[in-house]
Amino acid sequence: MRWFYICLLAAAAAAWNSADDAWVAPRKNWWAFKKVVRPEVPAVRDPWLRTPVDAFVLEQLSAKAQRPAPPLDKARLIRRVTLDLTGMPPSPAEVEAFLADRAPGAYERVVDRLLQSPHYGERWAVKWLDVVRYADTNGYEGDAERIHAWRYRDYVVGAFNQGKPFDRFVREQIAGDELYPGDTDALIATGFNRAGPLHVVGGNTDKEEIRQDVLNEMTGAIGSVYLGLTIGCARCHNHKFDPIPQSDFYRLQAVFAATDSKDHPLSGADSKKQYDEAVKAHKERLKPVQDEIAAIEKPYRERLRAAKLAKLEPRLVEAVNTAKGKRSEEQQRLAKEAEAQAKVSWDDVVNALAPDDRTRRAALRQRMHTINYEQPDPLPAAFAVANQEKAPETHILKVGNHKMKLDRVDPGLPRVLDPPSVPMAPAGRRQALASWLVSPDNPLTPRVMVNRIWQLRLGTGIVATPNDFGVLGARPANPKLLDWLAAELVSSGWDIRHIDRLIVTSAVYQQQVVQGEAAYWRTQRRRLEAEFLRDSVLAVSGALNRTLGGPSIKTPLEPEIYDLIFTEGEPDNLWPVNRDPAQHNRRSLYLLNKRTVRLPFLANFDQPDNMTSCAIRSTSTHALQALSLMNSDFMQQQAQHFAARLDSACRSNDCRLRLAYSLALSRAPSAQETAMATGFFSKGGNWPDFCLALLNRNEFVYVP
Amino acid sequence: MSLSRRDILSVCGNGFGALALNWMAARDASAARANPLAPKAQHFPAKAKSVIFLFMVGGPSHIDTFDPKPLLANYDGQKLPESFGKVISQFTDGSTPILRSPWRFQQHGQCGAAVSELFPNVARCVDDICFVRNFHTESVVHAPAMYQVMSGRILMGHPSIGSWVTYGLGTPSENLPAYVVMPQPEGTPEGGTPMWGSGFLPAVYQGTTLRPGAKPILHLQPGAGVSVERQRARLDLLQRMNDLDTPEWDQEMAARISSYELAFRMQSHAPEAVDLSKETESTRRLYGLGEPLTKEFGTRCLLARRFVERGVRFVQIYHGGGPLTFQWDAHDNLKTNHERMCGMSDRPVAALLTDLKQRGLLDSTLVIWGSEFGRLPMSQSGNGRDHNPYGFTMWFAGGGVKGGQTLGATDDFGLRAVDGWHMRDFHATILQALGVDQHKLWYLHNGRHEKLTDFGGRVIPGVIA
Repeated sequence: MRWFYICLLAAAAAAWNSADDAWVAPRKNWWAFKKVVRPEVPAVRDPWLRTPVDAFVLEQLSAKAQRPAPPLDKARLIRRVTLDLTGMPPSPAEVEAFLADRAPGAYERVVDRLLQSPHYGERWAVKWLDVVRYADTNGYEGDAERIHAWRYRDYVVGAFNQGKPFDRFVREQIAGDELYPGDTDALIATGFNRAGPLHVVGGNTDKEEIRQDVLNEMTGAIGSVYLGLTIGCARCHNHKFDPIPQSDFYRLQAVFAATDSKDHPLSGADSKKQYDEAVKAHKERLKPVQDEIAAIEKPYRERLRAAKLAKLEPRLVEAVNTAKGKRSEEQQRLAKEAEAQAKVSWDDVVNALAPDDRTRRAALRQRMHTINYEQPDPLPAAFAVANQEKAPETHILKVGNHKMKLDRVDPGLPRVLDPPSVPMAPAGRRQALASWLVSPDNPLTPRVMVNRIWQLRLGTGIVATPNDFGVLGARPANPKLLDWLAAELVSSGWDIRHIDRLIVTSAVYQQQVVQGEAAYWRTQRRRLEAEFLRDSVLAVSGALNRTLGGPSIKTPLEPEIYDLIFTEGEPDNLWPVNRDPAQHNRRSLYLLNKRTVRLPFLANFDQPDNMTSCAIRSTSTHALQALSLMNSDFMQQQAQHFAARLDSACRSNDCRLRLAYSLALSRAPSAQETAMATGFFSKGGNWPDFCLALLNRNEFVYVP
Repeated sequence: MSLSRRDILSVCGNGFGALALNWMAARDASAARANPLAPKAQHFPAKAKSVIFLFMVGGPSHIDTFDPKPLLANYDGQKLPESFGKVISQFTDGSTPILRSPWRFQQHGQCGAAVSELFPNVARCVDDICFVRNFHTESVVHAPAMYQVMSGRILMGHPSIGSWVTYGLGTPSENLPAYVVMPQPEGTPEGGTPMWGSGFLPAVYQGTTLRPGAKPILHLQPGAGVSVERQRARLDLLQRMNDLDTPEWDQEMAARISSYELAFRMQSHAPEAVDLSKETESTRRLYGLGEPLTKEFGTRCLLARRFVERGVRFVQIYHGGGPLTFQWDAHDNLKTNHERMCGMSDRPVAALLTDLKQRGLLDSTLVIWGSEFGRLPMSQSGNGRDHNPYGFTMWFAGGGVKGGQTLGATDDFGLRAVDGWHMRDFHATILQALGVDQHKLWYLHNGRHEKLTDFGGRVIPGVIA
């Protein structure tokens, strides 16, 4: 009898599978699912050509009787490529050296220098962290800080700086713990699986629902980040457009069934002991201050509680007044209610305090916060994942609802790509996924990645929808170029720098920006992304702190923004600013990214909120940007810095003007601009104001 | 005409002017085309032109305010009959006894709508109000439920309703932000700033927090001691340089030049918009500005009217936030909590409706009163109530809404909505009032045509006249 049911179940599962196979089969012909076949580089001859990339573009333009735009002049070119590869403008010396270098290969030498710059990885990390939706906090009401997440951010910076092959990068992020035991970097890399938002809340929460949210995040990310497929759409139903049946979503989700979040300690038992002692010592320092606060509060708390108790129903009062051991069952319940009704909250106390007690208490709390600055740093840990010993079963969920389980599914990969099977063993599922993503048979991973690189450097991808290579996405505007680059990525040993170099040394990249519809081959008017606008301001003013990596930084927050941090508790010390002011001038990448409270300067300039994978940032233009860039304390300070920098280098206004232009705009002022400046100063204008205007200028804010 | 054009003309002066004028005109036209907030036509004619959404943070109890349940008194202290099913809330599991409402209800207005004694002033406005008593939502937890009512999803990261509306309709206001947000000064709602965020829509559609006082908008004023003349001189220098940088065809750079002029106009207009000194004594009295309890919320309600008068498209007000004593979240001591929260908000809300009506603005302004959920008929901690997402009341007024109505119902205990309306129906109804077709208001994001109402909501019949 038992066997009968097992056979029946197997038959049902098989029926499901074959129905899905039949549904998928006629849709396998979609361009993105076909194998990458390396095309021949077109045999076009033209003095314009610089890299094979250009041949593909020119072939297509010639067929449409179009010509590329004229090339950019050298000064603008080095500015463009430096902004693109490092996120900051070139120094005057770098510009000068390039202008003076008339030997062949001068530009390529600049590119090679930039590709080796530590700022290259920082620039790339901003892009990658958009795609994986990285932030330093969980989101939702708790929005707790992920105190170890920054190691994943640093891992990403390092991966691009070290030239880590992209296939290895993928393997480490998805399954570094399984594939490279003992390799700390690979362990940290698995923080990728935890990058999305997480709902943590008290009370009767539905654990299964929260687990399902986590699994949805992990599963959807594989689609948007690596495959360029909106797999998340198949959570509730078969994908409306792409050949992804609902069962495939849950088969892919089953890959993560055993995957748990885990902060792996990165230090030994000795450090743990030291740390525990340091914590103990710290608590001992805090204790007298806390005791003093408690002593101030005590009479108020007692009075307030007594007043509240006096208003309670007699049976509640009686229950509270009965000794704990002697309460009846009913009284135990009533006593609990009484405690809740008579609880004294922090604001009850603060409102009741006499003025001098309030002052004393505030000073003590300040003292407590000051001591807390010196609390021991947390022991290092990897913000990572680990496998449970047993993988819970995975079911297809009707309309994605965890309470409506349908058939059970085994782990598997999207069937449209005829993938290998995934083992059932819990430790091994993610590595099967990772290995398949970067296997020679997978056409999507390399296509999606080279397209991201193209979009990053040119403004528009060859496929204009970098996270969607499906039916609703854009078609490749130049399929041969896309496939050639994809093949080149794989044959170069998945070398991102190699593709970057091919693109930025191409003639396509070196065109001027001219009027015309956006197209993959046309260099676009691109505004500096929020982080790089801020970084560029710091670099020009001279205040930039170029330190790489480390825990995320809290810079001073405008009081108006501080007020928007949610807490039910006492709202002091919610944003302990880093005490070393030099840290405030770090690159924007290192500023703490809190999901529910975003830094206005960056948010106003379209920094994505990182709740979902962001493939292309929007560029909106509005008045709040002007207010931030003209009036914020940050900009006022940087304008002062900039002016002081000019002062320390120059004695004449002429010198100041030339230096200001060369720092901010990588060129000398024109005669008209000199006259404009002279006019400004003759009417009483000062240098900080002039510097501020320069940093607000379109030419500064846009990539040339 | 923008100020920068005048500057250019004065700079260019001699005979160059005409040429410059043509060029500037072309540039301004180009900037206007690129202005994402330029007013856009409704999809179909509708009365509401602007929205004031009064959001009561933490979940007011519908059964103690607008949805009377006499049966609660009979069952006071008893368990919910088993036939009503299992109830899970955030902190309770349905096993606690029923708690009767501490307040009496009375019928009001010509329509005879029932309102509890907690809202004596709002009760006088019921003939302008359409109550909908059968809303339900998906989460028992504040933040996800807040995201759902504000953005249609329990997840973070979707554009808020104000963002969708300004994305769809732009704004007639040239001197103020299109989408204004006024949180409780004591603290933010649990959901935080994503509640008025633009999600994956461009940042231009995010809500802008505005507050009373000398600095109503972040970074509005140049640093201390910077005179208007000095600020103007900086800006003139900048705009002259920007004109050098900007080719005639470049809409984006042109829009950037205009954005500085708008910012400069905001510097004078925003302080004027929040300056209540010219309001008459009777208006100030109406909103309760003289009373300590109502002064703060009254001020924000009055500001909302002033913003709508000045063309702001969407005004979002949060009543409550931060410490529990400043939220409607009455897990214990329901009576103290609601008497205080209603005491703060009753008069200002009624004043807003009255004032808008007197000024002829109510017809074109949709006023919404609501929250993330209601509260359970069972008790928590003896004299409080836990969250109830299964059934609760929100109401509409103005903007073409048919007042004097009570639509829908919850069951006899006020526990569950009968044939309830989902948040997507709530959103569909608001868009309908604004003349926006919910299916035409979409944005392509990661391969999906994202909409406020996702697969579509039902417009609640009868709400809009």
